[in-house]
Amino acid sequence: MIMLLMGLALAMFGLAVTAAAFGAATRNEAKPEVRVQPRVEAVPERFFADPHRAFHQQPNVPLEVLLLQIEQHVRLEQAAAESFIHLPTSEALNCRTESPLVH
Amino acid sequence: MSDTHLDLLKSVAPDDARAVLALGSRRALPSGTVLFELGAPADHLYVIDRGRVNLTLPMQVFGHDEDILVEERVSGQTLGWSALIPPHRFTLKATTQIDTEVFVFGRAALLDHFAARPAVGYAVLGNVSATVGQRLQVFQAMWLREMKRVLQFSRGAGEAK
Repeated sequence: MIMLLMGLALAMFGLAVTAAAFGAATRNEAKPEVRVQPRVEAVPERFFADPHRAFHQQPNVPLEVLLLQIEQHVRLEQAAAESFIHLPTSEALNCRTESPLVH
Repeated sequence: MSDTHLDLLKSVAPDDARAVLALGSRRALPSGTVLFELGAPADHLYVIDRGRVNLTLPMQVFGHDEDILVEERVSGQTLGWSALIPPHRFTLKATTQIDTEVFVFGRAALLDHFAARPAVGYAVLGNVSATVGQRLQVFQAMWLREMKRVLQFSRGAGEAK
């Protein structure tokens, strides 16, 4: 009788462990909702610069690099504007440059 | 020095050009010298004999005022034309990019000379007008190009919402 009760107890214990393991494996954990905060960046006053994506896509650009990029942008834009003045056409006015701020 | 490479003296007879040059003085400026500051009284007109000058405006970048290049002036070109045009205040800052030599002309001396020789004044002021007009046209075109990008950016941002 004692042996029967022990066997029954072991069987119940094994069943409980199996059920617990099965429950743990199949449980859908409620994942915490991830809220994406819009990134707010310090943007310079807009004159030559910049509503351009490339500018925003470069995080932590050193100031010196940024200033060089602006300088290069101004030179290219000025050259494009001078080409337009030399031969005024819509194509010349709207031509693209290789400025790092607009690509 | 030949005066034929100076924008200011285009179409001016050689003798008259020499007389105008005699009104000025030559000044050597090491690289990095500030020739004039934004907002300073503009009493002198400059012509670059050799070298290169950066014209800049201050722009706020990440909370700091930075001098942003607006235009470069090279040998033969005129700068500081605010000296001849009211309200006689410089609207840009000028800094030499490399060792540079300029001719410096006082406004009073130039205007007195032009009053005495109207044909020379007419030609020189015509050349100054060309410089002013060229800047206006360049900036019109640059402004329009930037406006186009602002619109493209605004439209892109609107579609992303």
